[in-house]
Order: sequence, then C-alpha cells, then structure tokens
Amino acid sequence: MVAIRAEGLTKRYGSTLALDGLDLAIESGEVYGYLGPNGAGKTTTIRLLLGLHRPTAGRGELFGIDAWRDPVAAHRRVGYVAGEPYLWPALTSTETFVFLEHLHGSTDAAYRELLVERFQLDADKKVRALSKGNRQKVQLVAAFATRADLLVLDEPTSGLDPLMEVAFRQTVLEAKERGQTVFLSSHILSEVEALCDRVGILREGRLVDEGTLAQLRHLNAQTVEITFDGTPPDLGAVPGVRVVHAAGNAVRLEVTGSPQPLLAALAGRPVVTLTSREPSLEEIFLHHYDGSDHGDRG
Amino acid sequence: MTAADAIARRSFADARVRTGWFAALFAFMAAANVVGYRRSYPTVAERVAFARSFGANKAVELFYGSPHDLLSVGGYVAWRVGGTGAILAGVFGVLAAVRALRAEEDAGRQELVRAGSVSRRSAYLGALAAIGAGAVVLFLALFLGLAGVRLAPGGSAFLALATISPVAVFAGLGALASQLAPSRRIALELATGSLVLAFMLRVIGDTSTSLGWLRWATPFGWSEETRAFAGARPAVLALPALSGAVLLALAGLIAARRDVGTGLLPARDSAEPRLRLLSSPTALAVRDELGSIAVWTGATGLFAVVVGILSTSFTTANLPANLRQELHKLGGTTITTPAGALGFYFLLFVLTISLFACSQIAALRRDEAEQRLETLFVFPVDRRRFLAGRLLVAAASATLLALAAGFCTWAGAAAESAHVSLARLLEAGANCLPVSLLFLALAALAFAVVPRATNAIAYGLVSGAFLWQLLGALLGAPRFLLDLSPFQHFAFVPAQAFRAGPAAALLALAALAVLASLWSFGRRDLTGA
Repeated sequence: MVAIRAEGLTKRYGSTLALDGLDLAIESGEVYGYLGPNGAGKTTTIRLLLGLHRPTAGRGELFGIDAWRDPVAAHRRVGYVAGEPYLWPALTSTETFVFLEHLHGSTDAAYRELLVERFQLDADKKVRALSKGNRQKVQLVAAFATRADLLVLDEPTSGLDPLMEVAFRQTVLEAKERGQTVFLSSHILSEVEALCDRVGILREGRLVDEGTLAQLRHLNAQTVEITFDGTPPDLGAVPGVRVVHAAGNAVRLEVTGSPQPLLAALAGRPVVTLTSREPSLEEIFLHHYDGSDHGDRG
Repeated sequence: MTAADAIARRSFADARVRTGWFAALFAFMAAANVVGYRRSYPTVAERVAFARSFGANKAVELFYGSPHDLLSVGGYVAWRVGGTGAILAGVFGVLAAVRALRAEEDAGRQELVRAGSVSRRSAYLGALAAIGAGAVVLFLALFLGLAGVRLAPGGSAFLALATISPVAVFAGLGALASQLAPSRRIALELATGSLVLAFMLRVIGDTSTSLGWLRWATPFGWSEETRAFAGARPAVLALPALSGAVLLALAGLIAARRDVGTGLLPARDSAEPRLRLLSSPTALAVRDELGSIAVWTGATGLFAVVVGILSTSFTTANLPANLRQELHKLGGTTITTPAGALGFYFLLFVLTISLFACSQIAALRRDEAEQRLETLFVFPVDRRRFLAGRLLVAAASATLLALAAGFCTWAGAAAESAHVSLARLLEAGANCLPVSLLFLALAALAFAVVPRATNAIAYGLVSGAFLWQLLGALLGAPRFLLDLSPFQHFAFVPAQAFRAGPAAALLALAALAVLASLWSFGRRDLTGA
C-alpha cells in the first residue's frame, strides 16, 4: 500500500514557485529521507500533503486520501512533528499530551510513559517555561505515542542535543520495526544516512534525485585518493577523472564510470597509497547543489 | 543610526497600522463634531436652549464627561471630543506600551534585540520614543481635524494636547504593567483594569454631587479640567505630564534591573496536570478564554451596577424640546424615566459586547498567527467544525455578558428602588445580542477571508459603526447611509419595545456571514503572522 503519493504537486505563493510538479510514491513501512537546504520547499511539501495549504496544481494523498478534501480521515493515520514547536504556552507537557491524544483519538499510554523517560521530560512543566529543545521533545513524544501508521517529521531534531539525537534515532528504528512509515524531512545528512531506506533530494521546488542510498551512489563518481612518492602527475586529462583537490604529494579525484583509464594512467607511477570509496551522502548532496544559487523558497 | 534610534524606528513602524487607525478616528471625530454643531445649532438662542437642557444631564455626561461651555463651538467640541477622545488616548497608551515593552519580549524577539550592542536603558528609551512619536501623530491628527474646519488654532492645539494627555499616564501604567507581569496577556489585563478604574472614577466624579473631587483622581478627569475653549487651565496639564514621567521612570528603573523575558510577579511554571476541558479544541478554547471571559463579565457587571444606580438621577429632570431632539439624533429615546435612561445606556453595553466579540476572534487569529492551528489541524480535526465550535464559545460568552449586563443593571436600579423589572432588563440585555453577534460574524468572516487584517477589520467595523451612529445624524447624513450602521437598528429596550423585525434581519445577516466564513476558512491556506 502506498502511504504517500504526490502527482504533479505544485504550489505557488504569489510570484514564488515554492513547489514545482512533485511526484512521490512512498510505500507503507518505508523510512523516507527528504533532503534539501533551507527554502528548497520541504515544509511546503508537508503542508500540501497534510492539507494545510491548498495545492495550486496536482494532488497529494495519504493512504489514498486527499488531505485537502478530507483532512479528518487523512489525519487519523498521521503523527506530525513540526519544524518549530508551536504549542499552547499555558498547558503543561502532560496536559498537552492529553489534549493531543483527544484530538488524535488513540494513543499508547505505556509507550508514552517510556518516551517521557527516554527523552527526560519534566511533564509537569508548562510549555512556556520549556526551552526550544524541550518543546521539540514534547512534540516528538506526542507524535510517536500515537503509534500512527505514518509519521511526518519536519526537521525533528532541530534543537536536540546529541544524547537526544540518539534517543530519537532509537525511536524511529522502533517505529520502523513496527512497520510504521516515516517521512523524515531533514538537512542533517548523517541522520538520513543512518535511518532512511530511500532518499529524495529537493532543489528549488523540484525533486532532482531519488532512490536508495546504493542507487544514488551508483549514479555518482567514486572518490579516489592517491599519495605519490614525489610530485603527482597531471591526471586532469584522463577520461572520466576530475581533480577535486591536490596538495603536496596527495590528490583527491572523482572518477565517473570505469576506473580503467585511471589505472592505465597510473601504471609505472610511484604510487604510495591508493584508497577508493563510495561517495558519502554529503558528497551526493553537494553534487546536486554544486555551483547553484541557493534561492529562498517557502 | 544608534541602536536606540533603530529600536524606536522598528517599534514605530510596527505600530503604524494602529497609530493610523487612531489618527483617522481622531481627525474624523474632531472635524465631524465641529461641523455637526454648527449645522445643528446655528443660532445663539438654539445654543442656549441646548446648553440649558444638557446642563444637568447625567446620562449624557456618562458618555462624554462634564461640559464647561456649551454656547461656543469650541466649548461644545471640547466636551464631545475631549471626553471620548481622552479615553481613546488612554487605550492607545496602554496598547502601545504593552506591545512595545512586553509583547515583543513575550515573542522572544527582545532577546535578539538585546543581544545587539544596545544597553537596557536605550532599548527602553527607544521603545518610549516610538510611543511618543505615535502620540505626536495623534496630536497632529486631532489638531488638524479641529483647526482644519476653522476652529481657532491656539485653542485647537490646547484641546488636542489636553485630549491626548492621558497617553502619558496610560503608557506609564502600561509600561509598569509590562515590568510586573510575566506575560503580554497579564500585562494587558493589569493596564486595561487600571483604565477601566480610571473611567469609573471619572463617571462617579462627574455624576455624583458629593464625590465630585474624584475627578481629580483620574487622568480622564484631569483632561476634563483643562477646560479647553472654556477658560483654559494649562497648569492642569502638569498632572498627566508629571505622573506619566514618574510612572515611566519607575518602569524604566525596573526594566534596567530585571532579566529579559521575566516579570516581577512570579510566573508559575510547573503545575499538577488539570485534565478538565482538554477533550476537544472547543473545550480548550473555553479553558484558554475563561479568565478573559471572567474579566469582561466582571467589568461589564460592575459598570452595569453603576448604570442601574444612576438610572434614577434624571427621573425629575426637566427636559426641553432641544434635548429630546439631540437624544433623538443619538438614538432616540426619552431619559426622564429610569427605563428611558437605561435604554440609552444599553447602547454602551452593545458596544462593549461587540468589542468583546472582536477580542474573541482576535484570540483565534493569534492562535493561527502563532501557528498553533497548524499543530491542531494535522490531527483529525475538521476545520469547519473547529471554527463553528470556536464561534459558539464566543457567542455563548457574549450571551453571558449580555445577561450579566441586564442582571447587574437591575440589581443597581433595584437598590435605588427604580421600578424596572428584572425580566425587562434581561430582555434589554438579550436585545444587545443581534447587533453584537452580527459583529462577531463579520469579524469571523474577516478572519476567514483576510486573516492578516482580522483585527483591523473587526475593531474598525465596530468603532467605525459606533462613531457613525453618534455623528452621522448630527452631520445630517441621509437615512440609507445611517442605516448602514447595525447600531441604528438597535431598539432602546427597556424604553422602547423589542423590535423583532430588525433583530431577525441582523441575525439572518450574521448567520449568512458565519456560513460564508465557515466555507471560506475551510478552503484557505493557514496563514502565519
């Protein structure tokens, strides 16, 4: 079953095109990483999928339900963590949980207790007295405790300390084990790399790349680092090779396609060390953003 | 540009819409009263008759304060504009001070400002400078409104100064409340409470013979005692200037000594969970608004008791034809019986309840601007049902306010043995509802269609229509233009019989506006601040 589907989803705010014909299909049980820098359109996508904003064109569905047309039905199966924790300042954490549970209609109280422990929340403190990170934890606990079929997380770890990051990752993995679908919008690449089955990369309102990490890596160059005994030869002219960095006796290269031409060029040269590795998600990401203007979008 | 300059400019720009509205209101009110008086009472004889009829009229004094000279255009305008203008100036002072000195801090922006290379003192002075600039704009609007229709420039300037003089005191009280209270809401409640108290003192001072000295205990009494165009007493202006300076200096001292984001009054940050009223968004709205509803009901009730007690004071008044004519223009009723006087007062309660309705929609808009509605609507919550529930809460509490006004008026009147039945006064209270609910519905429509302009439209409609009600007839506007104001269709119960036709029409319009707002809110984007 498809948990999230978007077809030609487009949103225009005045003259700004915030999202441009997005197509997505995310299966139930998947953990999907949604990557993009600030202003790429991540939050716009979420607002459209959740039916908070109305698409200019195209459609978005959660479990086959258009959330703009029938938000009540669509939201029954969704837990959401917003990028900014906007809560009711006069309520305590516990009161917030109770209120949000009433709204959602179901919750796993035992799991909630466990999460309150895990995230080290002072549940009797009023929201207005909590720091941003702690308010973020209130949102996280409330969302995960619903055990909703789909968790939509918009930069959920902003404001969390590293210990809480660990707690967050553990909680996402638990959700995954239970077969819940997770849509994780983020610009923290290590988080996405650690948690996600599939990744989509958004740039200026368009999905520029999508796939499993392995698939994304195949599309991209290998990173090869070589140290020589003496001055390195000029490898820039070798087909499929780009010199990324050269300093002293060491060079870092990006190799696209077969490494055969490079190996041929190296034959007989005084190579001391040679390492080859797959590009990190960061490198894939930067590849898509290299030299582009980072225009600001809703 | 220094840091204080930058803060002052930002703060002034932040308040430009509010300042603009107040300035427009002042200019219009001033010019319309001058023109209206000249039109209605062109001859000395008519003015003498008018002055005699109003000399001892307490019902009208309650609205406008005590007149000092009704024979000249200037004296009349000083009374009509000075009385209500001073209250508006007080409201402006409170709003401006709390906004600049507490709301900014509440929103967390003040931290960012203070992290700049700016001292606590210059941050405070910058905010004050912005309020001062706002007061200057109001002064100019008022002065131009008066002098622009050929009133003597010197006297106009003095009247304008006297009318805006409460800004100093109430900005001071607002600034002090902002230092004491740990949140915007509490600061606003404290400062507004002091404003209501000052108004009550003026009402009692003006209407009671033995307690006349109370006029000297309130900034509204001071502005009255400046007697513009009636033997002006500039020295009285020292009172608001000095007390304003003391209050602002005191607030400044506290501001320079306290932590950003806190108030002197303790904030209760932890609490045992109270699980009442959490079952739905509507229940939470009730929970959030209970305090505010209680304050509005209490203030209205208190005022209603005073009104009830005063209702017998004109029973024996000898009202010549001119007064009847004047009152007819204000809304048309006799005030020689307690019932008649009360009917007149209930116009004030309609205004109060309508403003309360606006405040309810303003609270709803704040929930959206601060993105809590976004948090809400990602849950299985139907937007239209949510809005309907929220409007129901507002309508129910408006009804509570209306009935409290009726009941408390009865209690006050009964204490003075006025012969008006409880049933009749409850009816008078309920009679306020069609007009107020229409304003509630229009505010909801504004919220649904142009969310960012909600407050401007909601409060603007109520104050604009009320002003039009007071001034339109005086200006000799044609009937169809007067009929635009919902207040025009308000029957002066208990003096007049309840008019079912207009009431039904107002309610039908309100229902239409509610339906339109539900439809529209269901299909628009949620809109942040």
